[in-house]
Amino acid sequence: MFTDYSSGTRDSSVKFKFFFVKEMKKFPFFFLLLFFTLLLGTMGLVGISIITGQVQEKLQNNANELLTSDIAISARRDLFPLEQESLFKILNEYPHRHYKIIDIYSMISNLRTGTTRLAEIRATEKGFPFYGKMTLKNGEFESDQLYISKDLADLWQVQENDELQIGELVLKVSGVVEEDSSMGLRGFSLAPRIYLPLSKLLTTGLLKPGATGGFAYHFKLNDLTLEKVQRIKTSIYKVIKDSAVRITLPEDSSEQTGRVINTLTNFMALSALIGLILSLVGVFYLYQSHLLARLKDLCLLNLHGLTKREIIVGIIAQFSFIFFLVVVVELLFIIPLYKTLAPVLSTNLGIELSPEVNVASALTEIPFLFGLSLFILVPLLLGLMRTPMGLQLKASKLSMGRFRFWDFMPFIVSLWLFSCYLGHSFRNGSLFFISLLMVFLLSTLVVRGGQWILRKFIKNKGLLLPTIENGIALRSLSRSGHKLTLSFLSLAMGATLISLILQLDKMILKEFALDENKPSLFIFDIQEEQMEPLVSHAREQGAPLAYITPMIRARLEKVNDKKFVRKKRSYDFRSREDDEENRFRSNTLNLTYRDYLTGSEKIISGKPFPQGGAPDDRLPYVSLEKRWAQRMDLEIGDKLTFDIQGVEFEGQVHNIREVKWTTFYPNFFVTIEPSLIEAAPKTFLAVLPAGPKETKLTFQRSTVEKFPNISFIDVEELIGKLSGLFVRARQAIEVISWLSLAVGLVILYGLSHDQVYRRYYDLALMKSLGFSSTRLRLNLLYEFGVLFLSAMTLGLFLGWMIAQIVGREVFKLALSVDWDRLLYPAGLLTILCLVTIMASSWRAVRARPRELLSDS
Amino acid sequence: MMKVIELRKSYGQGESRVEVLKGINLEISPGETVALIGKSGSGKSTLLSLLAGLDRPDSGEILVQGQKISSMSERELTNFRAHNMGIVFQQFHLVSTLTALENVLLPLELLKRSHSLETAKNLLESVGLSHRADHLPSEMSGGECQRVAIARALAIKPAILFADEPSGNLDEETGERVMELLFKMVVETKTTLVLVTHDPDLAKRCSRIIHLEHGTLL
Repeated sequence: MFTDYSSGTRDSSVKFKFFFVKEMKKFPFFFLLLFFTLLLGTMGLVGISIITGQVQEKLQNNANELLTSDIAISARRDLFPLEQESLFKILNEYPHRHYKIIDIYSMISNLRTGTTRLAEIRATEKGFPFYGKMTLKNGEFESDQLYISKDLADLWQVQENDELQIGELVLKVSGVVEEDSSMGLRGFSLAPRIYLPLSKLLTTGLLKPGATGGFAYHFKLNDLTLEKVQRIKTSIYKVIKDSAVRITLPEDSSEQTGRVINTLTNFMALSALIGLILSLVGVFYLYQSHLLARLKDLCLLNLHGLTKREIIVGIIAQFSFIFFLVVVVELLFIIPLYKTLAPVLSTNLGIELSPEVNVASALTEIPFLFGLSLFILVPLLLGLMRTPMGLQLKASKLSMGRFRFWDFMPFIVSLWLFSCYLGHSFRNGSLFFISLLMVFLLSTLVVRGGQWILRKFIKNKGLLLPTIENGIALRSLSRSGHKLTLSFLSLAMGATLISLILQLDKMILKEFALDENKPSLFIFDIQEEQMEPLVSHAREQGAPLAYITPMIRARLEKVNDKKFVRKKRSYDFRSREDDEENRFRSNTLNLTYRDYLTGSEKIISGKPFPQGGAPDDRLPYVSLEKRWAQRMDLEIGDKLTFDIQGVEFEGQVHNIREVKWTTFYPNFFVTIEPSLIEAAPKTFLAVLPAGPKETKLTFQRSTVEKFPNISFIDVEELIGKLSGLFVRARQAIEVISWLSLAVGLVILYGLSHDQVYRRYYDLALMKSLGFSSTRLRLNLLYEFGVLFLSAMTLGLFLGWMIAQIVGREVFKLALSVDWDRLLYPAGLLTILCLVTIMASSWRAVRARPRELLSDS
Repeated sequence: MMKVIELRKSYGQGESRVEVLKGINLEISPGETVALIGKSGSGKSTLLSLLAGLDRPDSGEILVQGQKISSMSERELTNFRAHNMGIVFQQFHLVSTLTALENVLLPLELLKRSHSLETAKNLLESVGLSHRADHLPSEMSGGECQRVAIARALAIKPAILFADEPSGNLDEETGERVMELLFKMVVETKTTLVLVTHDPDLAKRCSRIIHLEHGTLL
């Protein structure tokens, strides 16, 4: 074991090289274990970094295609002449081309079949689209022709050359649009789309003064930098101050499209961080054991002229070298793997990814990873600095200088920052970090409390509790100091993280599984008198309707008798959240009335509506969706005045609701207590739950014939698309979970190995006193078994708890107890724990008491 | 009491093989105190480890109280050692997580002896450490630890006590006091003692001195 450093030159640099190279050669097993621990821990993050980089790059490339231009100025009304003048005054300073797009909804009639349907009319001008493509079934897209979308053609059996009546105009269908690149992952529109020249739309008579729809001015700017386009955006915001006007750049469009993917990659990155933390705990223990085992040699090196600083630099150099090897192997291994998997990933994510990897994106996280990994060694290195090396050689037992809590601060702070960076959110990153901190504090509390109880229990008792193996194990547990706390902490943390991933993974999967409760079809525009016959018709077709809800179009006019004024916005800096907030803040909305909550709603403040409707002596109660209320600055007790088709309706905010939007059921920002509101002009909304595809099609076709005014939105495809995305993400998360588990086991081995190593002489002594190997194994099994099992139980519970908090706060998922996901890792970890304890204690149990003698 | 016949032991393999004991023959009578002395590397600790059943010989026989320990199985040997032998080490070697009293109690409870707690307390008192009963080894001095180790070694009233440089890790004064105590207790309990030491003066206190050189008895 002992390495002779006394021979050879006394020159420090030569000694340093000797120490550096010799150590690596002398302890291949330690360095191999260190290599694999770091490799497993960092692999997940580097892999995810590559995929994220690719996704981001692709989204960036697609961004222009999604927006169809370089900059778009849009609103739910047309820009006023003065606003148009200001806009063009700014844009005219730069060479550009532009077109206008108007999106409105209207009924259209097929003159051949005699059917009338609701459609989204997209009116465009010459040049549309500047970026992207419109793929037709036959021929090329011309902006002066009428085209219909594929779903309209399929559902209504509209054919080329059919004549459609749009408002007062009759136009011939020139072709069917197979693919519109600007749709992206935006989901569904309210109705199938038709494409019409803008000049024709103006002659349909549909655009009456005050008509609402989407009005957008798109510009193609020649060779302008992103900074310049950003400046133009700011300038426009300064002259057009109505917050209803929105300016979109390609990256905004891209961000919206990729929001789901970004959320998933962020979550995967945090999951991968869990694997990394576990591996760093392993690195800490490996180094601690290694340094303790090498302490005598290090003291000798110090005696022969190598300063403590040089020793520490040597250790850092060793570590850096191993880390470098890890990076090289990762790049050599992961890049070819990514190239192989790129086509599969493209199919699964719905975004065509390039098989070429940008090495820079793969390396983005490496400096952070290296820093974080190095910071975990700081306490050990400082402990080494504090070791009185000269005195160690005289001492009967070697001991390293103690490390202090503050020594961990660089690691703690960098972990927090790294969590925020990976989660792309200060809030989510901090939440993750605080959760880990809570686990740390709770674990310390449990271990200290447990030790106190054990001490009370064994006081004045013999060693037989009821066996001597047990008695010694319990005494060891109750009297071990911070080493035991650290072991417990690491194990509890590992179990917490593994449990957290498994629980969240299951929760996400459950949330996005397309089961029979998910809707398949939204049915709109049902008139009051059509309700009864439609419900009967649906029942006859074997497609019973659900969630039949009245829907009233309204505008929020006043709050507490004062005209509702939307918040002023900042013109200099607008984040994605600002844009989202502005979208939310539109004061025109659909509301409903009812006195019950749906399964996807929960009151978070205030009280539920009383049964029986609003009495005449008070205002009807209003319930608001939480985020909408926050963004509109509304609170309980506020008096709201709505304009419903020219008639004022007043209500008072009575409660705030949280809505789980991921159920995909139609939900409303505002619901009103049944009252006079029931008399307001309304249509009804119904849902056809998921079922056989054939039943749905038959129902749709027969309903179109019987009730031509009723509209459908097929949400099955969108939900399926999102579910698919989550299933793929779940698979990725599962891989990371297993990676974490593998890292956890390496740590477990390291921990028990370290603990057993520390007890080597105790075990040899017990053997000399008459303990058989079996009894020693039992003793170790009791001691480490109690330690591991209690840490694991606590960890699994805490993991479940954090999963509920993170699931609720970050992913808006419902609370759930999944016993499978608790018991399965518990069983697996127990078996693995026992195997690991046995494996790591093998050498110690076979310890020969002869080694206790003086010349051994 | 103890008979050793043609005992041989070597370490290493091939060319690096070193023969440490080269056919030792020895007999020790009950109650005898024997000092094993010799230079470093002479094989005295190896001989002690074989006599105490901590290691196995390559060839030869060791008989203790008529039983051939050299051919016992690991389990039999462990059991025999637990009932008949006590060992005091140079490095004290107390179980770090047990108190002084529990360390003395350990061999007694291992053999499920009756009144073990009382016996352990008495032994601790006889080595002058009853006030340290609840202290962990890390809270005691080297001399105190060694006294606990002596009490533990004698707790089971062994037929034979092995001591490996028991004062080697102590300062002179403490060492003398510890050895005084060891001899006193050995005499009182009429225990056979095999003592490995470098110190000729200490060896002289034994009834017999055995010199070991290059693996053979002089």
